[in-house]
Amino acid sequence: MRLSASAIALVVGLLVNHGALASELPQRWVSAGGALSEWVVALGGEPKLVGVDTTSQHPATLKALPSIGYQRQLSAEGVLSLRPHVLVGTEEMGPPAALAQMRNAGVQVELFSAQPDLQTLKSNLGHLGQLLGNEAQADAVFSEYEHALVRHEALVATMQATHKAPGVLLLVGNAGGKPLVAGRGTVADWVLRHAGGRNLATHTGYKPFSAESLAGLSPDVLVFADRALGGDAARAALFKENPILAATPAAKRGRVLELDPTLLVGGLGPRLPQSLQALSAVFYPDSTESAR
Amino acid sequence: MSTLVKPRTLFIGLTLLCGLAIWLSLALGPVSLPLWDTLRAALRLLGVPLDAQGLEQAELILGQIRLPRTLLGLAVGGVLALSGVAMQGLFRNPLADPGLVGVSSGAALGAAVAIVGATLLGGLPEVFGPYLLSLCAFLGGLGVTALVYRLGRRNGQTHVATMLLAGIALTALAGSAVGLFTYLADDATLRTLTFWNLGSLNGASYSRLWPLLLVSAGVALWLPRRAKALNALLLGESEAGHLGIDVERLKRELVFCTALGVGAAVAAAGMIGFVGLVVPHLVRLLAGPDHRVLLPASVLAGASLLLFADLVARLALAPAELPIGIVTAFIGAPFFLYLLLRGRA
Amino acid sequence: MLRVEALQIRRDRKTVLEGVTLDLLPGEVLGVLGPNGAGKSTLLGALSGELQADQGAVWLDQKALGAWSGAQRAQRLAVLPQVSTLDFAFGVQDVVGMGRLPHQTGKARDDEIIKAALQAADIGHLSARSYLALSGGERQRVHLARVLAQVWPGEAGQTLLLDEPTSMLDPLHQHTILQAVRSFADQGAAVLVILHDLNLAARYCDRILLLAQGRPHALGTPVQVLQPEALKAVFGLEVLVQPHPERGHPLIIAR
Repeated sequence: MRLSASAIALVVGLLVNHGALASELPQRWVSAGGALSEWVVALGGEPKLVGVDTTSQHPATLKALPSIGYQRQLSAEGVLSLRPHVLVGTEEMGPPAALAQMRNAGVQVELFSAQPDLQTLKSNLGHLGQLLGNEAQADAVFSEYEHALVRHEALVATMQATHKAPGVLLLVGNAGGKPLVAGRGTVADWVLRHAGGRNLATHTGYKPFSAESLAGLSPDVLVFADRALGGDAARAALFKENPILAATPAAKRGRVLELDPTLLVGGLGPRLPQSLQALSAVFYPDSTESAR
Repeated sequence: MSTLVKPRTLFIGLTLLCGLAIWLSLALGPVSLPLWDTLRAALRLLGVPLDAQGLEQAELILGQIRLPRTLLGLAVGGVLALSGVAMQGLFRNPLADPGLVGVSSGAALGAAVAIVGATLLGGLPEVFGPYLLSLCAFLGGLGVTALVYRLGRRNGQTHVATMLLAGIALTALAGSAVGLFTYLADDATLRTLTFWNLGSLNGASYSRLWPLLLVSAGVALWLPRRAKALNALLLGESEAGHLGIDVERLKRELVFCTALGVGAAVAAAGMIGFVGLVVPHLVRLLAGPDHRVLLPASVLAGASLLLFADLVARLALAPAELPIGIVTAFIGAPFFLYLLLRGRA
Repeated sequence: MLRVEALQIRRDRKTVLEGVTLDLLPGEVLGVLGPNGAGKSTLLGALSGELQADQGAVWLDQKALGAWSGAQRAQRLAVLPQVSTLDFAFGVQDVVGMGRLPHQTGKARDDEIIKAALQAADIGHLSARSYLALSGGERQRVHLARVLAQVWPGEAGQTLLLDEPTSMLDPLHQHTILQAVRSFADQGAAVLVILHDLNLAARYCDRILLLAQGRPHALGTPVQVLQPEALKAVFGLEVLVQPHPERGHPLIIAR
């Protein structure tokens, strides 16, 4: 009983401390979950951020903020030491006991869905907008995003009228070794489909495949995301650790594309439309040439 | 012999060390609380009627976060070390580890079933979550240990060597099963599983703490009473029998205490290795193998080690947290090597 | 005192010991001799309660051996095994002290007994050392001190069973130890000792049981049992038996 009274006192104290004229919007934010943090920044919330998790790496300025560690193993006291008013994150945040301790301490814990579809994104942005006090901007951002996607879809439809959709596999690896294949229900799958590709993997989630299965699926395009390396080093590592990939049609025709792995965490993120452009260019090389 | 530490010195030293560990564990953390606030909040928690002005945060941090965490560390560290002593006595080998009877891998399997099973079933209400996990881990640990024990019994006698082999086999089997669950898991569940395997005192709460405290207290009060019998067991099973000890009963008790204690510890805090193997060893190097000293001293040493490790885990990367298993290895191993190089007693 | 009647022990359908009937009396040292595989250790196992008799029975002080509770049996019966596998750095004092485990005589009396047992086994000078730092022979004497301490002072009603206690000792200590065992028996304890040295047995034992292929070949005084024909039959060894020049007991000399 004593504790709930002091919790209330704490919350009231925190709010009152910021002056009677200050809005009741949370001013000190901690964010967890790559794409979510990007949206917070996109909606102008970066000045309010006082801490982020390890998956929040875009924009690069976020890396200068204190890190609360891995989003599934948050330390209540650690987060509390940043004196936040609100903790935003996806349902991947945990452990639940730590979240409960934070709530008890008066921190607003807001959970967002990481489902990769537009409806979820719309409600997430709306919710963020409320918390930031700029619903109008949130709506505008979403509309713009939606338009960009619609335009891209139209483009893809044109290309598909004359060209067959390529079979694609998206591999997520670590320094090339033992990559996981992205299946249904992932952000990766959403990206591949919206870029006009056919995801050859029919399972759900991320699963490891044997090298023979990978080659046996004969992908026309390979997309890879490496958590440890980047650029040519990542590409080289991928083929070094999985030499059989060199036998795929994708590798033989040089249609191997790198994707930033931070795009795949936390639901649909603001940078996806650019990635879609890049991917579609590789999926339909001739038509984009002729489209120019 | 002359390089051994006298029992009285050892106990005084370890008690002071443990006291220091408790104090630091309560006073330090990512949130920096003024010492005066911590003291007053501590007194208030003990029931002393002091003025509560400005102490809300200190009381919250201390009472809800640090105190349960400290208690968890004491209980887990103590019971893991104690189980290490029990296993080293049972197998009559200073390199034995509680995991040899399969309790750790059984607990891991139980946890995997809970984590992956819950997802496969479409998720359970969140309130179930932590209890289900702990319960499954505990039952898994007990189940595998019971199986190992059963396999080691022949003609009413427990063959320790057979138990050892059975433990190895079942640990491998449980490991493959966990591997299978890992495959079935999606990325999210996979990460939860991995982190659980690294162990943590994070998220300690009183409601989840009391079963462990009960079990730890039970084991800690029971085992030291068998200290002389454990000493005799080291002579050999038949020699211990000739001294009038019911050896079968003793072996059963040792396996049971280990299964209960380690099962509860793993259920509450995940897999924290190394403590059960190294702490008894360290104490033996300092003060000899007499269980009358070894058992109580290991409780104090194990509890202290874990609290210090947790301190590092909480502070090294604050506001993030290191998995504690990594820290126990980093603290314990060099110290252990130093003692070995210094020369055996 | 220990009593055995028509003891038979089987292992995997094979009879390893059969037809043993004897009384181990207070104040006597009974030696058990025989070639390897004759059943000596099996007999010891049955007498100590480790092996169950398939037929026949063992009594300790008029009560069946199995009917005694662990601690009470241990107060009356101590067993010294052939080898010890203690691998922990206990102090010699502590190892001997384990012999007092079945008793509740208090620390002061225990310490006295431990000291006396150490002296009897001639390792008083090693009492402060670590067990693991000792040689094989010294370790054997530590365990002897331990079992002596267990049934100290060795009065009537207490029994000592020893399995080749001299196997690792130098000649002097072989005699020292058997002399200590002898003194123990002189106090009233009943002692059974397995030996492989015929001359030691001849000198220190009141009676000898000669075992061959699981059966008793002879039971009697050394003079009665240690005869050339018997020894040839059991050990396959040609020997001369002569009386010891000073003591008179049989002296066995290989031809």
